[in-house]
Amino acid sequence: MSFAERRKERAKEKQLQKLEEQQCEWNKIKKPTNVLFNIILSVLSLLCVIPFIFVIIISFTDEQSLTMNGYRFIPEKWSLYAYEYIVSAGQNILKSYGVTILVTVVGTLLGLLLIGTYAYALSRKTYAFRSFFTKVITVPMLFSGGMIANYLVMTKVLMLKNSVWALILPLCMNSFNVIVLRTFFKTSIPDAVVESAKIDGASEWKLFFKIVIPMAMPGLATIGLFLTLGYWNDWFNALMYIDDKSWVPLQFLMIQIQNSIDWLASNKSMMGVEGIQAAANLPKETIKMAIVVISTLPIIFAYPFFQRYFVNGLTVGAVKE
Amino acid sequence: MKFKYAKRVVALGMAAMLSAGMLAGCGKKAETNEKGEEIVELTWYQVGDSQSDDELVLEEVNKYIAEEIGVKLNVIKVGWGDYNQKMQVVINTGDQWDMCFTCSWTNDYLQNAQKGAFLELDDLLQNEGKEMYDSIDPRFWEAAKVGGKTYGVPSEKEIGSCPMWVFTKEYVDKYDIPYEDLHTLEDLEPYLQLIKENEPDVVPMYLTKDYTAPTYMDKIQDPIGIEYGDDSLTVKNVFETDRMMETLHTMRKYYEAGYINKDAATASDDKSVKRFVTKGDGQPYAELIWGKDLGYEVVATQIMDTQITNGSARGALTAINKNSEHPEKAMELINLINTDEYLRNLLNYGIEGTHWEKVELTEEEKQEASDKPYTYDFKVKLNEEKKKDYSVPYYVQGGLFNTYVLDNEPVDKWAEFKEFNDASQEAPSFGFDFNLEPVSTQVAGFRNVLDEFGKSLYTGSVDPDEYVPQLLKKLEATGVQDVIDEMQKQIDEWKTNK
Amino acid sequence: MKRKDKAKQVGFVTRLKTNKELLLLSAPGAVWFFLFAYLPLFGILVAFKRYRLSGGFFESLITSEFVGFDNFKFLFSSGDAWIILRNTILYNLTFIILGVVIPVILALLLNELRNKGMAKVYQSSMFLPYFLSWVVASYCVFAFLNPEKGYFNAVLQQFGHEGISWYTEKSFWPFIIIFMSQWKGMGYNTVMYLASICGIDKTYYEAAVLDGATKWQQIKYITIPLLKPMITILLIMAVGGIFKADFGLFYQLPMNSGPLYPVTNVLDTYIFRALQTNGEIGMSSAAALFQSVVGFIMIMGANKLVSKIDADNALF
Repeated sequence: MSFAERRKERAKEKQLQKLEEQQCEWNKIKKPTNVLFNIILSVLSLLCVIPFIFVIIISFTDEQSLTMNGYRFIPEKWSLYAYEYIVSAGQNILKSYGVTILVTVVGTLLGLLLIGTYAYALSRKTYAFRSFFTKVITVPMLFSGGMIANYLVMTKVLMLKNSVWALILPLCMNSFNVIVLRTFFKTSIPDAVVESAKIDGASEWKLFFKIVIPMAMPGLATIGLFLTLGYWNDWFNALMYIDDKSWVPLQFLMIQIQNSIDWLASNKSMMGVEGIQAAANLPKETIKMAIVVISTLPIIFAYPFFQRYFVNGLTVGAVKE
Repeated sequence: MKFKYAKRVVALGMAAMLSAGMLAGCGKKAETNEKGEEIVELTWYQVGDSQSDDELVLEEVNKYIAEEIGVKLNVIKVGWGDYNQKMQVVINTGDQWDMCFTCSWTNDYLQNAQKGAFLELDDLLQNEGKEMYDSIDPRFWEAAKVGGKTYGVPSEKEIGSCPMWVFTKEYVDKYDIPYEDLHTLEDLEPYLQLIKENEPDVVPMYLTKDYTAPTYMDKIQDPIGIEYGDDSLTVKNVFETDRMMETLHTMRKYYEAGYINKDAATASDDKSVKRFVTKGDGQPYAELIWGKDLGYEVVATQIMDTQITNGSARGALTAINKNSEHPEKAMELINLINTDEYLRNLLNYGIEGTHWEKVELTEEEKQEASDKPYTYDFKVKLNEEKKKDYSVPYYVQGGLFNTYVLDNEPVDKWAEFKEFNDASQEAPSFGFDFNLEPVSTQVAGFRNVLDEFGKSLYTGSVDPDEYVPQLLKKLEATGVQDVIDEMQKQIDEWKTNK
Repeated sequence: MKRKDKAKQVGFVTRLKTNKELLLLSAPGAVWFFLFAYLPLFGILVAFKRYRLSGGFFESLITSEFVGFDNFKFLFSSGDAWIILRNTILYNLTFIILGVVIPVILALLLNELRNKGMAKVYQSSMFLPYFLSWVVASYCVFAFLNPEKGYFNAVLQQFGHEGISWYTEKSFWPFIIIFMSQWKGMGYNTVMYLASICGIDKTYYEAAVLDGATKWQQIKYITIPLLKPMITILLIMAVGGIFKADFGLFYQLPMNSGPLYPVTNVLDTYIFRALQTNGEIGMSSAAALFQSVVGFIMIMGANKLVSKIDADNALF
């Protein structure tokens, strides 16, 4: 794209925005109501943000002053120790970040494809097997074979032990997401649109990609967000199926430290002096908090990413043209 | 444009995964060592957090054991908090593994042995494991027996559990407290009062939610067991014994007198709280460890004689999978670890020269060490920079007595342990295993009741006269009497067959 | 009879043919469900066995003793069974209702804000608690409720009141638990409704404004009715979880404090503590199966009810 073209585009965009603003002023809530809403939402947001800030502060607190004074919003002494410890703990954090990002990206895309196609078929009123395939996903929403059966299937049938697919496949689909997306499709895509496209001779495949996906962007973004969070926070599959250190995702690395700390704290009495020795080798409170910061900061930005697609949907008219 | 980029990332990712899959699929060639023996790979599950130098040390270990016995190790470490769950899956699915860590507090030894997960080792111990078998205290072997068969090799360490009062040395010195003469809970009273009156900043008796009041009983299935010294082997509920009621009343008295911190039932150890006395489960030289943990000196005294119970003697064992393809090799390896000084210390401290160095004993220490068992000509000085890259729980891989001691530990540490073990008494119930299968439904309800009332009662936070009857009533509802009867039946059988 | 069968068969084949494309679209998902959800279902059998090891899993499963419903008994053997059931159901009912009301209101508020930029900030902030595990959340709560050093007691003492021993005083905990559960979940749940609102065709509102409808009327007559399918379907699914409780919320948050059990012991915490003592996998399977069966009955019931009132929005 040449510079001139780009400038033209930008000018066009600005114009559009202006137009939109004018249009938007119309049908908006009154200013005092807006203030009230803002107050309510700010209070709630603060309730949610403060604990997180608290966690960040503790992660930068000096361990000594933490034991002496307990949790404080403004610690007596700051320290980078927790982060230094984690970085120097030798476990390759960068590599684990890489694994997590790879798994999250591939998994989310794969999941969206699988969930999207399945949910789309279910949303079509003319689909003769709609009821059957809905029932197919209702059963696993409630029943599961349990940890041991899953392990057997994953390792003995699918041969996925120590494979990165063991981190991707188990999470890429679930009944809840399918049903939510089906509902999105049903409510945001009028039958008329689909029918007229069918009359025009479009295949279901084309219909799905060319019409349904663009129209259901907010819904897909929601499911995409859920998938991304699911992958990012997953550590259980790594515990079960990954013994090979080169495929360890970040959350597993972090959660393991935390699990060890908690377990030792509550079972110290059973282990006698050994418990104290083992616990002494483990990082303390500040590190727990640093772990939270390291493992969640990057994913917090996932939300704004998906938020972009929450623009008020295209109007039916726009698609028809 | 953005889309294209995303596509490329995905394509790259896919390619990476495919190639990784292919690499993993490559066939393994049979290796042989210099003696021409084929090298066998053994998988060993251990509890503890992964260390960054695990692979480095393992490589060194493998080099050595390949030549010695033709074995290569694949060690899988699982974190403390996840070990139990992971092992439950690995064991119950009949997965491939050869050896694993087991004990009374995680990956339960008794349950696994009873369920048939572990191999009976008695024959192997007489052949491949003979040298090691003879070197370990027979009482450990007795404890390792379940239904007359041995299912695990114990790591030799302290055999009994020994509850202690741990005093802060500062106040002991200041008020000249004859701490060595204080044993029972009641003995403490005058000094608690003394501290309460003179040291307003100090909590006379600092307790946390982990605290259990001194219990003169082997709780075989908490709260049910056999009292220490009861040779008639009468199964009782600990909350129905006079001794426990007395203790709970005393605790209540202390609590109401303000000797105990008010949040005892929910507190977790807050090291900034100044305390005069607290309770700990000890072993020889435990004072050093507690002191290091707290940052000031402490002294300790035993509450009661050390008792050996099944639980205490099963503190750490290594078991072999019933379905292992190479049980003899596994036993050879365990034997080697427990008898070979080089290998044991390599596993324990890492590579000499990298993670630690040998330090010669001083003349004085040599004197001290002479004619004591389990002493060595060196101590270990850990490399300050590398020590955090390899730090393992000592008892997971083998016995402690053939490891060197650290330079800040007494040279006769293990001799002291041996003495401690020899002085420990066997509880009357030692050697008896309760098979809870007939009453597993009833037992399942216990934990909920005990957790609800236990902590508050033990710390004196509530009145025992009001709450013990409540607790007993709830235990009654879950069927405690069935369990008592069943255990009595089993223990009577055991007594006649003994 | 025979003819009928034949007719049905022909019908089935033609149905396959006419639905070929859609069948192809649902095929990959169906394969996934078969492999990852249906194949492991054999594990349910463990619930009826006293599982003992002898060789591999299947060998062990076959040779293990069949014990009927013995493994389920422990769920009801405790004297507190009814308190635990009561807690589980009452908390879940509260969560189900609040889980609709709060997020819908929030989504409406966010959607109506004049300043869209702030709306995004609020949304992102309210999502944050989702990232904190219950363990970490329990530390944050402890910082406020700690009887010795906590902020709440410090404030109370400032005003001359006596500090409260929060972790032994059970009367506060139902509120704390409900508050914290909403605190953690509201961001996540709001997203779904917000996205649904975004998906609503703008022309409805345009038409409404031309007819002179107020904002309130628009919400009442356009937004809410159009959210109904989503609300209904999420309600049906939530009802299926009525016997399942968020373990961390009831275990970590109250720091497993004994005196609070009468208001914090729910099915999942009870099962956890029960199985700590004996690690019988048959019993854990039995507990999960019990929760699933009850959930399944609830979902079917809810679905039937919905299909009677409004067949379009039912699950199937």
